[in-house]
Amino acid sequence: MKWVRFTFLILAAAVIQSSALMDIVSLTDMHIKPDILLVLLVYFAINCDSYDVIITSFAIGLATDITGTQIGPCFLSFGIIGTALSHIKKVILLKHTRQQALTIIAAGVLAYSMAVILAKFRVPSTTGGPFKIFAVSVYSGILWFLIRWPVITLGKWIGVGIHRFGAKPQER
Amino acid sequence: MARKQFKPSKLTLFISLFLFGCILLLLPQNVTSRVNFAFIDIFGYFLNMGSSATHNRQPQSSSPDFVTRHDYNRLWVAFSNLQNEFFEQKRQMETLGKVRLTEPDPSTGLVLAKVVSRKDRQFIINRGSTDGLKAGQYVLGDNAVIGVIEQVSTDISSVQLITSSACKLPIKISAPDINTYFNGTMHGNDKNGAMVLNIPQKYKIKAGFNVYAAEKSGFLRSMRIIGRISKCTAGEKNPVVWDITVEPAYDFNNITDVAVIVLNQTG
Repeated sequence: MKWVRFTFLILAAAVIQSSALMDIVSLTDMHIKPDILLVLLVYFAINCDSYDVIITSFAIGLATDITGTQIGPCFLSFGIIGTALSHIKKVILLKHTRQQALTIIAAGVLAYSMAVILAKFRVPSTTGGPFKIFAVSVYSGILWFLIRWPVITLGKWIGVGIHRFGAKPQER
Repeated sequence: MARKQFKPSKLTLFISLFLFGCILLLLPQNVTSRVNFAFIDIFGYFLNMGSSATHNRQPQSSSPDFVTRHDYNRLWVAFSNLQNEFFEQKRQMETLGKVRLTEPDPSTGLVLAKVVSRKDRQFIINRGSTDGLKAGQYVLGDNAVIGVIEQVSTDISSVQLITSSACKLPIKISAPDINTYFNGTMHGNDKNGAMVLNIPQKYKIKAGFNVYAAEKSGFLRSMRIIGRISKCTAGEKNPVVWDITVEPAYDFNNITDVAVIVLNQTG
């Protein structure tokens, strides 16, 4: 895992996610946009070894928080969901694109719901419409079918996504 | 002998990061918001790429008999504010008799700012606490109330727009037929408008009535136009009240310059 390249990728994704460019693909007057960082969270959770998943999940959560208004809620929720996904992949391989898209939807709903609950502890007036959370997650899951190959290419550039059967990474 | 590289176990790593996240969550908002503002400061150029406000320049009208929609909205806002000030002064004169009144000067206490970044129902402007801004101050866009200051750093601030459901403002609805105002509270609908709920149906309110931000001590000296009622129907959950939908005076995508009302303590 090449961490410098990973940091650059996450920063670039965070900038694109919060830029006005994403308004081009937004839907309805609620400005529902796909979440690139959510897609990357699930991708790294599925394709990295469990040690790296913990670091990548929390890092992506921090990037999501930095583009928002509060630091902490997404850092925790993405970290927990990413770590949980790394354990789930030991039972369910999640090799098919449809499975991965459904995982993005489920992870998005859970992660953002958890983030809204955590955010309310800090700022009680925080609002997080359940419909918008669901819509963003579904949109991100659909987007996975379109951006799968560029993400896999970038993943290989970072040093993930290559399954080596028989060569077990050192697990503790 | 080779040095053993320190590598914590997965559980240790997870617990450390989890505790770090809990600490971040417990830090005060005014400390962590600096990170958000720093991100916007550093990447401001890239964040504004593709912004519609810089490209949405309406062409000047070629006919002397017509004006553009944006100019029409600006004229309507100016007229509504003046009309309101006129009625307010007339009411006060009738109440106080021969006492001379000083009209509040709307041009004092305004800090002009530019919108440097846009998010869902939020603007980031290039003024902060060094310019006298603080949370709760009203923000005007072309003379109409568009939101309130949410968070402030030394040189940039975030503006919560009136279309956000977290933005709650005391408002007054003008009823020109009977020359009075109805009080209420407005909050955004997370789309392109706002809602006013729990107004009893005994008040004769119709679509097209103006909605003003009510005066607030220390923040707003006189009423300011917000928009007008686009829809007024019987409440879905409670049929004895109105469900009022308010349309803002302007399309927020077209606003690039704002003014923050900063009143001094004696004002």
